[in-house]
Amino acid sequence: MASTHEFRDVEAWVVAVELAPAQIQVLQVLTILVFAPLLSGWIAHLEARLQGRRGPRILQPYYDLAKLFRKETLVPEDAGWVFVVGPMVAFTCYLTVPLLIPVLTTFPLPLGYMGDILGGGFLLGLAGFSVALAAAETGGPYAQLGSSRAMTFGALIEPSILFVTFAVALVTTTDLPYFEAAAARASLSQVIRPAHLLIALAFFLVVLNDTGRIPVETHAGTLEFGMIDEARTLEHSGPLFALLKWGSAMKQMILYVLLVNVFAAPWGLAGSGATGSVVLAVLALLGKAFCVGAIFAIIDNSFSKLRLFKITEFMAAAFLLSILAVLVLYLGGG
Amino acid sequence: MAAVPAVPSIFSGSTEAIALVVLLTEFAMLRAHLSRSQVRLYAFQSLAVTALAVFVAATKHVDQLYVLAGFSFVLKVVVVPSVVSRLLRDARVDIASSHRFGVATMVLLAIALSVFGFFVVGSLPVHSKSLPAPALGLAAAVILVAFLLVTLRSDVVSQAVGFFALENGVSVASLVVAAGLPLIVEVAFLFDLLVAVVVFGLLMRIHHGRARTLSTEALDRLQG
Repeated sequence: MASTHEFRDVEAWVVAVELAPAQIQVLQVLTILVFAPLLSGWIAHLEARLQGRRGPRILQPYYDLAKLFRKETLVPEDAGWVFVVGPMVAFTCYLTVPLLIPVLTTFPLPLGYMGDILGGGFLLGLAGFSVALAAAETGGPYAQLGSSRAMTFGALIEPSILFVTFAVALVTTTDLPYFEAAAARASLSQVIRPAHLLIALAFFLVVLNDTGRIPVETHAGTLEFGMIDEARTLEHSGPLFALLKWGSAMKQMILYVLLVNVFAAPWGLAGSGATGSVVLAVLALLGKAFCVGAIFAIIDNSFSKLRLFKITEFMAAAFLLSILAVLVLYLGGG
Repeated sequence: MAAVPAVPSIFSGSTEAIALVVLLTEFAMLRAHLSRSQVRLYAFQSLAVTALAVFVAATKHVDQLYVLAGFSFVLKVVVVPSVVSRLLRDARVDIASSHRFGVATMVLLAIALSVFGFFVVGSLPVHSKSLPAPALGLAAAVILVAFLLVTLRSDVVSQAVGFFALENGVSVASLVVAAGLPLIVEVAFLFDLLVAVVVFGLLMRIHHGRARTLSTEALDRLQG
């Protein structure tokens, strides 16, 4: 008897206790922080399975991080303070972005309007820039190669991101991610309008590029000459390397969240602050992110990496989709 | 603050999406390296045009469009691609990496050209009962990019496929402007395509017979 009584209490508590918006906002950051390595582990596991290997266990990234945090930090002889500060700045940026985007809720949280899509883009750009600086500081040839390539290709993919933002602005007259998601939720005709399909597809290609996936980069490769993002972290070790690895997992999850919760599938988010719906939103987010991860793992296994000088073709495709989105919007309708 | 633009209805949204697929296939043809994949892309593009015709016929109750869609399926999805790929098999030439510029440059050029087409046609006061006006702009972009495909790729197959794709663009445009056109006119138009297939088939045969290649690069050199 006592146990059912207790159960009812819990049920009532789940429905009745409202989380304050500020609490949900902290929870958004925690969700990304805690589950990002799980997502990476899931993708690595699935990739190995698709290749007929047993693969690492899904929790492996957590063990890796724990091990790295216990190790000592080695700093190259000529490297200055930028080498140490870079990974920390990047990590802070990745902690800030989840404040701005709809991770768990359909309604904007207190700091949600602090920055728009471009603001989030700037923060991600700053993170990439500080990692690139830290890599360039080492004087290691591969790390410098990685940082220079990452900056070059980052600049080439930028026009697509801008045109996606323009298209969002034309659809919603704002460029806040919350509004684009709300527009897609509003009606079916918003979802199947060509502009929406095109920006979702273009953003998918942008995510493919920014998370360093095939066809742009081999994710688990060890050959330095094909590396772009991965090469930047070669000189870091210990806790700093752990921060970089954790940061890149968080960046991946942030981009997945933007893809599913703003463009592709903005359903299953919490409509109120009730504890139950927020917990459901966390679970729904994990489910959606795992599905996207599965798609990316399949792409990883079905295509080959593009030659470095052919990557511009990929960028041109992303640019084509995003500019067509803006054009059909301008033509009226779209 | 500007007014929120009107959301297109489900009908016009999906027709525009199909017209966009036609345009994107055109861009894929521009990029494709193998002649074989160009022919396959053409078949896919024709399938999209057929689907557009069927969709318009079903939603706007224009029954003669079903007949047109049937003709266009048989001709453009089945007959023309199979004839061209048989010619290709006989020629035993597989690769046609005949881009005059890099792929990214060509895509950017094509984007500029389609922007031009979009805006020129978008400013025309054409109103249609059967299809939303943006589809006409998309059709114009398909036609212009087809011209680019014909001029910037130096092999006979690209030129043939470019010409056929141009016909697809005209088909989309005619669906927009005159869905109720008498059937005989539309069918006569389709048979024009057959004449083009014969002409391009002859061109491929003769060119391959004389030059042992499908590339047009060597045509400006004297032979003797």
